Amino acid sequence: MPILTARILRLLSTVWLLGAVASFPLPGEAANIVALKGADVDVYDEALDGFKSVASRAQVSQYDMEGDLQRGKRFLARLKSGPKPDLILAIGIWALQVVVEEIRDIPVVFAMVLNPSTVIGQEARNITGASMNVPIEQQIALLKKASPQARRIGVIYDPSKTGFLIKQAERIARDQGVRLLPKAIASPKDSFAALDAMQGEIDALWILPDVTVLAPESVQYMLLFSFRNGIPLLGLSENQARMGALFGLSFGSGRDIGIQAGEIANEILSGRRAEEIPFTTARRLRLTVNLKTAGKLGLQVPKEILDRADVVIR
Amino acid sequence: MKVRLRAVLSLPLILLLAGSIRLADATDLKDTISNLYGGQGILLEPLPLPFPSQESRFQASSLQGLDQLNTQLTSAIGVPSFNSSVGGFLFDIERGVPVQTTESLGPLLTERATTLGARKLDLTFTYTRVNFTKLQGKDLNDLELVFLRGDANGNGIIDTSGPFSFESDVIRATLSVDLTEDIIALIATYGLTAEWDVGFVVPVTHIRFIAKSQAAIFDQFGNPGGTKVGDIPIHQFGSNSNCNPPVIPPSSTATCNASGGGNETGLGDIVLRTKYNFLRHYDDLIPDMAFLVELKLPTGDEGALLGTGGTNVTGLIVASKTYARWFTPHVNLGYEIDTKDTRESAIRYALGFDARLLPELTLAAGIIGRAKPNGTGTGDHIVDLSLGVKWNPIKSLILRTNVQIPLDKNSGLRADFIPTVGIEYLF
Repeated sequence: MPILTARILRLLSTVWLLGAVASFPLPGEAANIVALKGADVDVYDEALDGFKSVASRAQVSQYDMEGDLQRGKRFLARLKSGPKPDLILAIGIWALQVVVEEIRDIPVVFAMVLNPSTVIGQEARNITGASMNVPIEQQIALLKKASPQARRIGVIYDPSKTGFLIKQAERIARDQGVRLLPKAIASPKDSFAALDAMQGEIDALWILPDVTVLAPESVQYMLLFSFRNGIPLLGLSENQARMGALFGLSFGSGRDIGIQAGEIANEILSGRRAEEIPFTTARRLRLTVNLKTAGKLGLQVPKEILDRADVVIR
Repeated sequence: MKVRLRAVLSLPLILLLAGSIRLADATDLKDTISNLYGGQGILLEPLPLPFPSQESRFQASSLQGLDQLNTQLTSAIGVPSFNSSVGGFLFDIERGVPVQTTESLGPLLTERATTLGARKLDLTFTYTRVNFTKLQGKDLNDLELVFLRGDANGNGIIDTSGPFSFESDVIRATLSVDLTEDIIALIATYGLTAEWDVGFVVPVTHIRFIAKSQAAIFDQFGNPGGTKVGDIPIHQFGSNSNCNPPVIPPSSTATCNASGGGNETGLGDIVLRTKYNFLRHYDDLIPDMAFLVELKLPTGDEGALLGTGGTNVTGLIVASKTYARWFTPHVNLGYEIDTKDTRESAIRYALGFDARLLPELTLAAGIIGRAKPNGTGTGDHIVDLSLGVKWNPIKSLILRTNVQIPLDKNSGLRADFIPTVGIEYLF
């Protein structure tokens, strides 16, 4: 009986090994990767180029959903009916949305997605990737460096969209010796009262990548608040810096994010499981500094920040 | 993709080759009206002795009249408007999502500030038919020129009585002009970067220019045949008047018909263009802005009326903004410098919108104007209404059609309407 048990165990372990080997490309064999692009956008093409430059041993075929979720779903349905690829690269939030709904048994790496955890549920163990979120540590550090006396950072957010970010940010702010003052809003019009309530209570203001917060009227009011109260505003892009935010901090380039996604894909193709690899944030950043705003706020932007800035608006 | 691209890119060469073929005879089509009656104005039959010769008495005025009309007509033939294309999606960095910019499929003859997108290629073939019907408000089938005789007795006036009353005789020429253009154009636009497009327009034109004239002599009272001495008319057409059919005295000499013109086919004036989108906003009401530069090269044969014979440089400021993801108003304003004839330099403007009525269907409308501050008096201010639709039946293929309707037919050489159909593909 023990001999039989040992034989069964040996057989099972052999089958498991064969299965494991069969599920990953053999050394020298090019992995088959399908890249699903949410739309035809330059920055997605850059990400794909970056991905290919790293995942150079893989054969990457691409499909453009052209912004149509149904088209993406139909494509994935066809994909599932044939030989399965070794990995799916989902570029952009729309591609990730359809992949989350349709794909359970193929490893998925995403790229160029903001706040991916709002799309990916806890149960999706086959998905990881490179987000385009800017590391919170670096955002808070930038505000502290620009205004060393800043101890209180105000932020408005919609709990249903970026509640998870606020939890992380509160912890990181505490570690960096500053206090986060978050005010929850449910709609863009709530932002006026939320900001008014912060008057005199904060030393800096931070714009989150939250669609409720990013309504034009909310952004305009935050810019106004920054000027009226003489406090720096950290925005999400060069565009916001041009509108009057002191800083605009965004991901460096689509190519950088694609490279990060390619590195994750390589790990998965080497045998590591997707669920073991945490989502990454942008490794390289693009900083815009608006010196006109700094002048109006009476702030001297340290040389160290100006030296690392990609764009300086004078 | 590569094979398809190669095939598509070879088309300009085919068009260039086609452009080198001239189908008409050697006489310049451009001088069709000047060349009526032999190209030397209207000559009359010499009178028998002892009368002084009246042969060239109407030559100067007829030459001037025919040349003026010729210039009015031929200088007003131009290259129709062609616009560049706009792309599908932009990326909103703050929200992390693509933003569809072609909530509509773009305008037809005016320009939007947005560009095609990096490494995108858009190819469009259009066919335009222009059947000119009016010149300065006058029907091209019923143009009238009146040629005056010179002063015979040197008294400084045109006598209406006395022995020199024949100075008041006139020649009235009624002209019928058939002037049409068929233009096939290849319009290519390539996105060098996300904000910078370059492109060209290669037109191949078939032009038909036929003029028929009937000249008749009248006296000051409008009597056909003009003043007579006894039975002998002082002014009469004859064998050197180049009438067709020939007029040979003493048969009827009071009228003289002539015709001329023909067809030409060939390469028109190539337009090179570049557009830079220097201001782009995603949220607020501030419009997107672009600067567009066009260079029209004199590649078309001027004599064959296939080109204007000069180099034109145009700079345009373009502003547009998409609202509610379907409605895009746009404004264009700029100046076109005609380096060959500065009087033809013009302020160019356009005001319009395109609106996506259905996901696959866009309506475009606009007012397109051209005003010459130092113009010659012919077509100094031209305003057209442009109406059209774009239909996107599959993927990146767009079918387009529009009609250009003159809002003021009293200015310049005008057609009742100018229809254009086209097919566009975005690679």
